[in-house]
Formats: sequence, structure tokens, C-alpha cells
Amino acid sequence: MSASASSPVACQAPQRPASCDLCAVRERSICADLGPRELVEVEKTMARRSVAKGRALMQEGEPNDSLYVLVQGGFRLLKHLEDGRRQITGFIFPGDFVGVRPTGASAYTAEALEDSFVCCFPHRFLEAIAERCPGVKDRLIARGQTEYHKAQDHIVLLGKKTAEERVETFLRMVAKSIGHGGDSAVTETPLPMPRQDIADYLGLRLETLSRTLASLKKQGTIRALSRRSVVLAASCE
Amino acid sequence: MKAAWRKYLGARAPRYTSYPSALHFDQSVTARDFTEKLHEIQLYDPLSLYVHVPFCRQLCWYCGCNMRVENDYARARDYVDALIGEIALQARALGGKGRPTSIHFGGGTPNYLSCDDLADILGAIEREVGLTDCADVAIELDPRMLRDGHVGRLASLGFNRFSLGVQDLDPLVQEAINRIQSFDLIESCVSDIRAGGVDDLSFDILYGLPRQSEDSFSQTLDKVIALSPDRVSVFGYAHLPDALPHQRMIDPQTLPDETLRAALSAMADELLTGAGYLRIGFDHYAKPDNALARAALAGRLKRNFQGFTDDAAATQIGFGASAISFVDGLYAQNEKSVAAYKDRVRRGAAPVARGLVRTRREAVIAAAIHDLLCRLEADVGAVLKTSPPADAIRLCSALERFEADGIIRWDGDRIAIVEGAHPLARAVATALDPYAQRQVEYAAAV
Repeated sequence: MSASASSPVACQAPQRPASCDLCAVRERSICADLGPRELVEVEKTMARRSVAKGRALMQEGEPNDSLYVLVQGGFRLLKHLEDGRRQITGFIFPGDFVGVRPTGASAYTAEALEDSFVCCFPHRFLEAIAERCPGVKDRLIARGQTEYHKAQDHIVLLGKKTAEERVETFLRMVAKSIGHGGDSAVTETPLPMPRQDIADYLGLRLETLSRTLASLKKQGTIRALSRRSVVLAASCE
Repeated sequence: MKAAWRKYLGARAPRYTSYPSALHFDQSVTARDFTEKLHEIQLYDPLSLYVHVPFCRQLCWYCGCNMRVENDYARARDYVDALIGEIALQARALGGKGRPTSIHFGGGTPNYLSCDDLADILGAIEREVGLTDCADVAIELDPRMLRDGHVGRLASLGFNRFSLGVQDLDPLVQEAINRIQSFDLIESCVSDIRAGGVDDLSFDILYGLPRQSEDSFSQTLDKVIALSPDRVSVFGYAHLPDALPHQRMIDPQTLPDETLRAALSAMADELLTGAGYLRIGFDHYAKPDNALARAALAGRLKRNFQGFTDDAAATQIGFGASAISFVDGLYAQNEKSVAAYKDRVRRGAAPVARGLVRTRREAVIAAAIHDLLCRLEADVGAVLKTSPPADAIRLCSALERFEADGIIRWDGDRIAIVEGAHPLARAVATALDPYAQRQVEYAAAV
């Protein structure tokens, strides 16, 4: 009952659920801000789902009634045009969210870039939890990036006028999201998305992206580059 | 064609590449209105871009386009700089929003410009607005100006749809229109284009040209079919020497009469559909596997300033002298003269000279005319609901005449054009168009 939620006894009782203990992104995303009791409430209705590479988590135009937190892997967000062409509108990395509001028709499709795991929180349960533990939903999405943040990132990127600025900003954004450790000069950032997706996202053609990557490498901004990863020089910012 | 239908062939009807047509644009629309509309475009709204290149090496006497013969390439390069300036200007208003799904280079003669200059324009679009590999990039080509390696270079720049101005292949007709280009030349262009891996090649053909006969035109069509373009546009030549003085070079005595024009148009339809092309709208033909045919079969066919198109974008942005943009009910046309256009861009202003804000009623009429031309059917009920009584009566009585002549049939509040009457689609559209009642000299309907 909501009355007992604030009682001191209720707050010390629950144990952190074992499955969440193992969660790789807990500390850097949602659940870090949840109290132990909230975590138990959330875990009761939460489901861990695996999404195979290339499969869709959400489909544009289809209803969606869950909030998803990406735990492992990566997703591309895309919109289809009438004639079947597509626009990459964003990428989702571990700790990021999609489906912040329930909808009768999703604005985009979320497709797995690799075999991925998500935590799925049905909104109707979140609403119920919110009654017992006020603010839990806000705190759930206070960290990590939502699709709205991603759209803003995209506007900023497209507003950059040179191809080099766009590509470098994108690589640093990925490094910040999924790079290991703070010093990007020595660590590899995985690039789970194909080059074509990066080009589409940046509003560049594949050839221009390749040329730009080569030029950034020549300048030293990129230390090393492979098909699936990049090592960036330390940012001068 | 039925005898009762012939009387409509001579009727003057607009081309309806926009509604209301550009004839109704005035100075009430300013650069500021246009820029404000650009601000409203959303992040992923599809954009259809048009780039106008108003230069030609030589004047074709049938031409109705905004063009000029330019002998000094330095002036063309100045124009390219202005184009790049305009692209940057409009991109600032877009602020990273909107995603181009297609770019069309028209003219004039776009390949009057060097490949380097075309690359600069495409590069500016990619840099300022964004460009992805899934965008269609089309260019109209004058075969006489293509040099060795030209086509391959254009294909490597990203051009993936080519359109050749063929017009007519009879040397006598070519002489009468001052556009002499041998079959061998066209054939070698086609083989270059195919060697470049281009799978969307279009031909423009004109009927109603001086000295055309059924015999000569059937030979032209046979040769066209032998070259196997993916699309063919068959336009009727409009002789308007009062508006276009260079057309006075054409001897009106040598022009086909209305009966012959109708026969030539019917022959093109018969030969092209007989060769496996699908008729698209009333003047385009496409192979069944072509994007335009697939769009038509899926009910996605649209009509914009370039004619029938598979491009889904509702927003069109035109760059260059006389180019027209359409954003959310607002038409804006750039300065027509190259000098005035360059001057406006140099001063850092959007070079909008005139335009029109479509009223709600005009939008309803535009949608009905669009459906009539693209799908050969229209919702007349919607038009009647927005029409004042006098217009409604005129509309109904005009449609009664088309019905009595067996050109349309009713289905509830909707009309459909009967099979075989598609060449009259524009004539039927005039019934829905209150402006068409006015005495304006338009292009011949067929």
C-alpha cells in the first residue's frame, strides 16, 4: 500500500534483486537512482528481453506500451519513407531508453545492430509503481539518453557545416556513450553500426564519409580505425 | 478516339504542374514569408530539391523554358557561385532540418556546366542540407554537349537518373526546330549511360513539331523503343509565338493540325504500351520495373513542377533563377533574370520575387486536380462543398457535358475518367478550375 511505502520499516526490508545485481549498466543508468524498495517494485514487473541482430524492438507505426532500457548491445532508430527508403534518426547505446511514452503509433523503428538485451517496463505497471513510489519514473529516465535527446543531438550534428566536424562530433559522441574508460586516446571505441548507417545519420554520402574518415586519420584526430572500432586522439576541448 | 471527344482536343488547358499555376503568382509573397515557412519544416521531413541551370549553347526554336544562350563560361561560373550562396542561405533557415530525398537538375541545359561545377553544387547541398545515398539525383542532358567520359564522371558524382532531350529523330524535323542530333549520337550516349551503370534513363519526346507526319513520327518512336529507355515522356509542343518570340522561327504552315496532333499522340500511346511500357498519368510511360511505374501501381504517383514523379516529398525547394518552391501551401518563385537573381543572392537575401499563398479552397481544388491527373479520378464532392453557388453550378454543368460525351463516369461524389479518355484528363481538370474560365492563353491541352 502507498501508506506503508514511506514507513521506515518498509525501506530497510527489501534486498536488491539478484538479476539486477548482475546488470552491467545499473550504475551508469536508471537503477542507480532507485532505492532498494523501488528496485524490488520495478523488478517485479520488469522483463529482460533478448533481441537478435537485425530484429526490431519497436516498429514505426505500431503501438508500443513499454519503456525499454538497453542493457547490452546497440540499436539504430530509423524512419521509413513512403517508397521504402529509410532515414537513420539515431543510435541507442547501453543505458539509453526508447518508448518513454506509450503510443498508438511509434514514430520510428528500433532495430538491433547486434545481439542485444533490453529491460522492458510496461507503462501500466510503471504508472502503478509511480503511485506507490512517487518520482520513480522520472528518476528512471533522468539518466541515459532518450529519443528526444537523440533528436537534439541529430540537429546539432546536422547543423555542423563541414563533413569533418560532423564525423568527429559523431565519433566523440559514440566514444562518450560506449567507449571504455575516460581516456579515449588509448581506448578503442566500438562502432557496432555499418558505415552506411553512419553516413545516413550524418547526412553524408558513403563516399564522403570514407573520404572524411581517411582525412581525419591523416590529421591524427583518429589514431586507428577498423571496420568495427575507432581509437580517437584526446579531444582538445 | 471517339468523334464526340475530338472537340476537347483543341481546348486550351494548363499543365497543372501546380495549382494555382505560376501565372497567378504575384508580389504578395516575400522572401520573409518563404523563410518563415522554412523554419516550420521538421527534422525528418522529406525534401525534394530542384536546381535550375538556365544556360544553353544554342537556342532550340520550340523551347518554352527559362533559358538563355551563354557564350561566356565565366558568367555561368558566377551563377554557380550564386547557386551555392543560395543553398547556404536556405540551409541556414532550415537549421539542419529536412532531409532531401531527391534532387533534380533541370534547365536550360544542366550539362552546360562542367562536371566540376556540378560537383560543387552537389557538394554544397551535401554540406549545407545533407545528402544521403538513398536520394535520387536526376539530371537533364543535352546529348550534343556530352563528351567522352562525361557520363561516367556524372555517375561517379552520384547522378543516378538521366534524362535525354531527344524530341524527334527525323533530320527534317530537327532542322525545323534547330536541334540537330543524329541517331548515332543518341545511341552512343545511351550506351555510355548504360555502361555507367545507370538503370533509370528517360527520354523526352515532342509531338506537334513542324514537319512531323504519322510516317516520320512512327519511325522516331520505333527508334526510341529500340534504344529501350526506362521511361519516356511524350509532350505536346505548344506554339505560342506571342509569348516566346523565338518560336516565330517556326513556320506555322508546317505545324501539324489538331487531327494530326491527336493521331501522333495516340500513336505514341499505342506503340509505347505495345512495347511493354506502362502509361503513367497522361504523358509519361515507364517500364513496369521502373520506380515511377512501381509508384503508380502502388497509388503513390505524384505531380510536381517536373511532371509526374515517384518522389513522396510534400515540400519542394527550388534553387536558381525562376525556380519555384512549395512549402506548406506557399509557392515562392525566384527572380527570373539571371542578373537579378545573382544580385539578390549577393546581397544575402532569399531571391524570392513572387508567389502565392494557397487558400483552403484552392488546396481542395489542387488535391482534386492532382488526383484526376495522377489517378484519373477525383472527389468532386469535396470541391463542391467549398465552392460558392455560381462556381458549383458551372462545375456541375461542365462535368455533365463530359459525362454526356462518355468521358467520365460518376461514383457517388467521385468522378473517374473512362478507359481511353486519359488524353483528356487536363481538359476535365479545367472543369474543376475556376481560373480556367478566364481568358488566359495556355498551352494546348493535347
